[in-house]
Amino acid sequence: MSTDAPVAVRAVDSQADLLERRSQAVIDGVESIDPDFVLHLASSTLKIVLDHFIAGDGVRAGRQVFAMPREEEGVAIASGLELAGSRSVLIFQDNGIGNLLTALLTLPQPYHLPLFGVVTRRGGLGEYNSMIHTVSERTEALLDAAGVRWFQLDARTPVDRWAVEIKRAWDFSRATHRPIFVLVNLMGG
Amino acid sequence: MAIERADVLRQLDAGFTDSPVVLSLGGTAREMLAVAGRKGNHLISLDAMGQTISLTLGLALGLQETRPDEKVVVVDGDGSLIMGLSVVSTAGHLKPKNLVVFVLDNGVYLATGGQPTASADIDMVAVAKACGWRDARDVRTSEELADAVSWAASAPGPVLIRVYIGTKQLQTNYFLEDPAVLAEDFRRWLRSTQPSVSVG
Repeated sequence: MSTDAPVAVRAVDSQADLLERRSQAVIDGVESIDPDFVLHLASSTLKIVLDHFIAGDGVRAGRQVFAMPREEEGVAIASGLELAGSRSVLIFQDNGIGNLLTALLTLPQPYHLPLFGVVTRRGGLGEYNSMIHTVSERTEALLDAAGVRWFQLDARTPVDRWAVEIKRAWDFSRATHRPIFVLVNLMGG
Repeated sequence: MAIERADVLRQLDAGFTDSPVVLSLGGTAREMLAVAGRKGNHLISLDAMGQTISLTLGLALGLQETRPDEKVVVVDGDGSLIMGLSVVSTAGHLKPKNLVVFVLDNGVYLATGGQPTASADIDMVAVAKACGWRDARDVRTSEELADAVSWAASAPGPVLIRVYIGTKQLQTNYFLEDPAVLAEDFRRWLRSTQPSVSVG
């Protein structure tokens, strides 16, 4: 029996366990908001989170969960939902931040509409895609350049604080009448 | 002879006096202001090119429970629709019964100098129906528009009406209102017209 095998297995388990615990924290945080609408965009990293809302315990009467083909479309739909008095959450990957900037800066930002998004990080430790870091590493810079407020949840924040911080960010969006994004690192780092 | 945009806007304003109406940027919004003035039920999208229908879809989804008997109307242009065409599939999938989309199709981006759009080669009615919309129709005359307005006010949505218009423009000033004021004015109108909840 190779002495390397258990180490490799432990490493894989650790990554999967990390993903599961952090995903559950995101689920708990979003559920604490109790959104009427959850708009999502395809993401393998977000599979546990999205499964919860699409077909798991997050399915409930009065809640609508649907895919947005593009992030900017989701921003506009969420803006309309906000005007109607509904609670919505966007869930998508950071490589889509560039897609939504024009819609964000011409709709919810100037119209003073709260908008909330949970944005999963890509392109860092644990990444398996050789290209995605080229856009994902610019996420903070893009948001800063656009004057969009964001908060980061990663290894620096104990995972048992994540749900609370997500809810606080939602409250902050409503208190300041503007879009707020929480960047969550589900892959490590 | 083609119908002109200002005439269409007059009919839409008269046909949906008590419904939320979202207006696309540029000439559509400015000409509605010229022919109808500021209206509480009108929400003006000052920019967000290509996202006016998406904005209205969100509004329709959010209002369908609390205002089930009311239509939520959007007046968009062909260029704006094409910029965000994916929303046709989203709306067709979600099927909000209260969503009414008017596409005023002049074949050009008129506000920026008349650059051609691709609308001439798009059968928008067929696209909407293929994406799951409950119905859609083309309009080419004032009489057909009157029929379509009446039909859209009661037909289960989502419905799309493509109105072929000319390129004549009204002379209007720029509209420079603070967008935060536009949003709050519109929300104030929504609150003031909120259907009362009967108890017991």
